[in-house]
Amino acid sequence: MAERVIVSIGTKKGLFVAESSKKRRKFDLRGPFGAGVAVYATLIDTRTPPRIYASSCNAFFGMKLLRSTDLGQKFKETKATPAFPKEDGRALANIWALEPGDGKKDLYCGVEPASLFRSADGGDTWEMVGGLSNHEHARKWHPGNGGLCLHTILRDGERLHVGISTGGHYLSEDGGATFAASNSGVGAGFVPDPYPEYGQCVHKIAGHKDAPGRLYMQNHGGWAERPGIGVLRSDDHGRTWTSIAKGLPSDFGFPLAVHPHDPDTVYVVPLEVPSRASPNGAPAVWRTEDGGGRWRRLANGFPKKDSYFTVLRDGLAIDDRKSPALYLGTTTGQLWMGRDGGEEWSCLFDSLPPIHCVKVAVV
Amino acid sequence: MCVGYNPRPPVMPSTTAVTVHVPAQLRDSCGGARSLQVAAPTVRGALQELERRHPELYRSVCDETGAVRRHINVFVNKSHVRDLAGLATPLAPGDELTILPAVSGG
Repeated sequence: MAERVIVSIGTKKGLFVAESSKKRRKFDLRGPFGAGVAVYATLIDTRTPPRIYASSCNAFFGMKLLRSTDLGQKFKETKATPAFPKEDGRALANIWALEPGDGKKDLYCGVEPASLFRSADGGDTWEMVGGLSNHEHARKWHPGNGGLCLHTILRDGERLHVGISTGGHYLSEDGGATFAASNSGVGAGFVPDPYPEYGQCVHKIAGHKDAPGRLYMQNHGGWAERPGIGVLRSDDHGRTWTSIAKGLPSDFGFPLAVHPHDPDTVYVVPLEVPSRASPNGAPAVWRTEDGGGRWRRLANGFPKKDSYFTVLRDGLAIDDRKSPALYLGTTTGQLWMGRDGGEEWSCLFDSLPPIHCVKVAVV
Repeated sequence: MCVGYNPRPPVMPSTTAVTVHVPAQLRDSCGGARSLQVAAPTVRGALQELERRHPELYRSVCDETGAVRRHINVFVNKSHVRDLAGLATPLAPGDELTILPAVSGG
């Protein structure tokens, strides 16, 4: 079968799947799946056979996990969702991250309250990863506005990075058996200590498979007294972090994406602090091509005024075509595509429910 | 003589036959049944019986801690259990226990 571009879109009212030929000229939309129920995490697992997963956060009946084995033609609930042991005292409130693990059917799942779970059978059974979920800091983390969520899971051989809001960045170097807070240089504007050991409001972390020591972080910035702590880079597997925010209109934002073929090229979506929306009503994505030394505004095709986009932590994705396109979902229900690495933007769908998360894959 | 032998039958915990009404959204998780018969002395006991017989239905009503989910209402006859004794509310023969999703959303 010819290659297709699949975009999985998690919204406040269910999951949508957009599909196009690899030329990306026209996308057809399917859904909503899990209609009326909020989706905060989705995954297009490109391992054979490809599967699409989505969390389904039912306010009435609890969390479900949806799985499709036919690229989003239909979805069924998995046999189980992550659950805390009865004696633990915590109860699953939401699913925020889904990532493939090592084995063919291995999955990792980041949840609220911030904890990590692992499945070895594609999501039908789950076990809690105690090294993180029962970490000595775990009962001291506290929720940000979005809830106490484990939203980022990055794998790099035996290294496992997780991002928690608000908890910070934690690193395992033994395959997830043990974790340590790894936040040197990661600031916080909401506690007296400007650089605490842990407890930072990390919004997103991203890396690149060809540069495993290199990581980028969108942290909770926008603090007048502590400028520049919002956009950070690490070159030592997340042990230390330095600011790369200079040149951006705001160091506050939620998502961050790395170019699939160049670890020096990174995209962020700066937002005004008071409104959490596009500065001056003029949406733009900003790109660096030298690892954060200089930033350039990309806004061709976006409205030039009166448009207050908010893009959440998982609302930005990039495909891996030779000339990749970005996909940006807004809380006002618009899905935008930025061709040629974000040089030219066009709106694919303009009236979806509020968008929480976007993933893309070429399959 | 066998010391300690008690010829009387053991005393069984009292149980009460009640009807549990299942909302339409959850009937797939109990074989499509609109209502179920359970024997339990309290609301907690009835929910535990649901956990044993229909774990998926139970997980949709209660979280891992055993608490009824925030947007689920449980009634004994016409009274909300929060206005009675919560999960400790005693059940009488013929009582009707109704599970309903709350009015919320947007």
